[in-house]
Amino acid sequence: MLLKKLTEAMGPSGFEDEIRNVIREEVTPYVDKHYTDVLGTLICEKGVNKNGPRVMLDAHMDEVGLMIVHVEENGLLRFRPLGGIDPRVLVSKPVQIGPQKRFGVIGAKPIHLQSPEERTKPLSLKQLYIDIGAKDKDDALSAVKLGDVAMFTTKYEEIGDHCAKAKSFDDRVGCAVLVETLKAQFDLPLYGAFTVQEEIGLRGAGPVAYRLQPDIAIALEGTVCFDVADAPGHGQSTIMGKGPALTVHDGQTIANRRFLEFMMSVAEKYSIPYQLRRVKGGSNDYGAIHKVREGIIGGGISVPVRYIHAPTQLISLDDYQNTIRLVSAILTELAKGGFTA
Amino acid sequence: MKDLILKLAGYVAPSGSESAVQEALLELVKDVADEVYTDALGNGIAKKSGNGPHVALAAHADEAGVMVIHIEDEGFLRVISVGDVKAQALVGRHVKFTNGVTGVVGVESKVKLEDISFDNLYVDIGAENGDVAKSKVYIGLSGVALEPVVDIDEHKLAGRALDNRVGCAIAIEAFRQAAAAGHNVSLVFTSQQTVGARGAKTAAFQLQPDLAIVVDAVPAGDMPQATRMDLKLGAGPAVKIMDGTAIVPLKVKDHLIETAKKEGIDIQYEVWPRGLSDAGSIQLSVDGIPVGGVSYPARYVGNTSTMVDLRDAEAAVRLIVEAIRSY
Repeated sequence: MLLKKLTEAMGPSGFEDEIRNVIREEVTPYVDKHYTDVLGTLICEKGVNKNGPRVMLDAHMDEVGLMIVHVEENGLLRFRPLGGIDPRVLVSKPVQIGPQKRFGVIGAKPIHLQSPEERTKPLSLKQLYIDIGAKDKDDALSAVKLGDVAMFTTKYEEIGDHCAKAKSFDDRVGCAVLVETLKAQFDLPLYGAFTVQEEIGLRGAGPVAYRLQPDIAIALEGTVCFDVADAPGHGQSTIMGKGPALTVHDGQTIANRRFLEFMMSVAEKYSIPYQLRRVKGGSNDYGAIHKVREGIIGGGISVPVRYIHAPTQLISLDDYQNTIRLVSAILTELAKGGFTA
Repeated sequence: MKDLILKLAGYVAPSGSESAVQEALLELVKDVADEVYTDALGNGIAKKSGNGPHVALAAHADEAGVMVIHIEDEGFLRVISVGDVKAQALVGRHVKFTNGVTGVVGVESKVKLEDISFDNLYVDIGAENGDVAKSKVYIGLSGVALEPVVDIDEHKLAGRALDNRVGCAIAIEAFRQAAAAGHNVSLVFTSQQTVGARGAKTAAFQLQPDLAIVVDAVPAGDMPQATRMDLKLGAGPAVKIMDGTAIVPLKVKDHLIETAKKEGIDIQYEVWPRGLSDAGSIQLSVDGIPVGGVSYPARYVGNTSTMVDLRDAEAAVRLIVEAIRSY
């Protein structure tokens, strides 16, 4: 099961080795050539000598995580977030640390010992630590090095009505869409870029776009979704189950209206449900890509992800399948000359 | 120059939706240029080959505004800001979208003035319901808060979009004169400046000039208890020393200052540590591009209505033309 493999693999920003190996193994039978750039982005080429617009599809491999920065005398580990993590979601969560995947738990003072005032305040990063059961500092350092990274441990499972829960749907769901897309045949030069370090500032995407110089680039993402209790229509961003979300405006991009309308028209032609991502904040790799060289036309397509950047995230598998369908339909139409960059 | 500014200020061009103003801007330089075009990010670019080093002028064509992100069943629109627009400043104003639809900004009751955010604002376009609204506007449509441009006195104008249509007008005049004189010049009306100088980066990559001069507004500080800024309206254009995005290289800065001295043009000095402009994006493009700036002081930069003095703009044209000639 591709989503299970991809979401359970380790790959906090800057430490994408394991997830890259998993993806490489998945795509190797289907692509003409693959290689890794200096930052660690996995680049796949498929039919690059064909005629038609050179299309780059992007999905970032990295996930939000934690980095171990200090070990206390008693063996407890202090950490810093890699990427945007709400400290309030961390307490009591299990994590796995470093290449050995040592288990730990993010600990805090039990409720019995808290003062009434402490109970009213969320814990800050300074008050949190990871407990790996070490007896002292030396013992801890025999299992974990400073600079090691930690990931959440949630296992992939299908639940409810065509839904799935896992860690790191942001952006392993995008990676899965890209892997599935690379398995199919399209009549145009296609590049797949599994990028690094998106969560800490879209760092991997710019250099790969600079290298490949595509005519069109599309970022495949998992994006924020808050279609839950009491959220007004203009505060939801996306709705789970309503289909892939197309970006109109985010923290790094204002959509190219012509390309956005092209994508919308393709969805309508193929009867694929879609929605618009309706929020100002957040961003994806296209934010870095569109400013490369002379400027690159394209956009962002995202699977709505509830509880994004938290240890357990939720998606609709219908949205996932419809995103694969939409990307496929867009490539088919691009190959037919449906859009001129 | 005043007529040109008034014409340009009439266009609604929120960041990312600059195509209408770009068409008008390029029309004004087409006859003296070798080539005009718009690029992937929406920059409007004019080129004229000639003698001497290649100097590019950059003036952003966009302005901050709002974008529709939700259409309610009752027909009201919810919007987000595009660039730096304060929610409080929009309440009660008219908004005009790029397709001509206009509306009034309302705010939910029970929200205190200081707590107003875009979450509480809506735009009322008089639509009876969501379907009617959807026939007039769409998610992703952008607009601006209206404020007419008015004559304050013989030299001063105040109103919407003067930042940076005044800069566009300066750049047009300077480009036309430099092109007519046979210099090697290009002109970029940059897109998406207010959201982070995005167009300037890709434009600089395309042009790779030997020198780029950014033409933009800089806040004046000559009002009661204004934020400290040693710039006055009507005291001449400001040579950029530094802003929040770039420190101007000594050679470029000295050239502009020396040119002003030789020509007897009164100048001021722009030191704007938090200022955002296209300068940084251009300077860091490709393998580094020498960048300078000639700015016109403006009061109330960042608000719906800014005030400028046309004498500063006219002197800026003279300074830029002479700086191109002697570079």
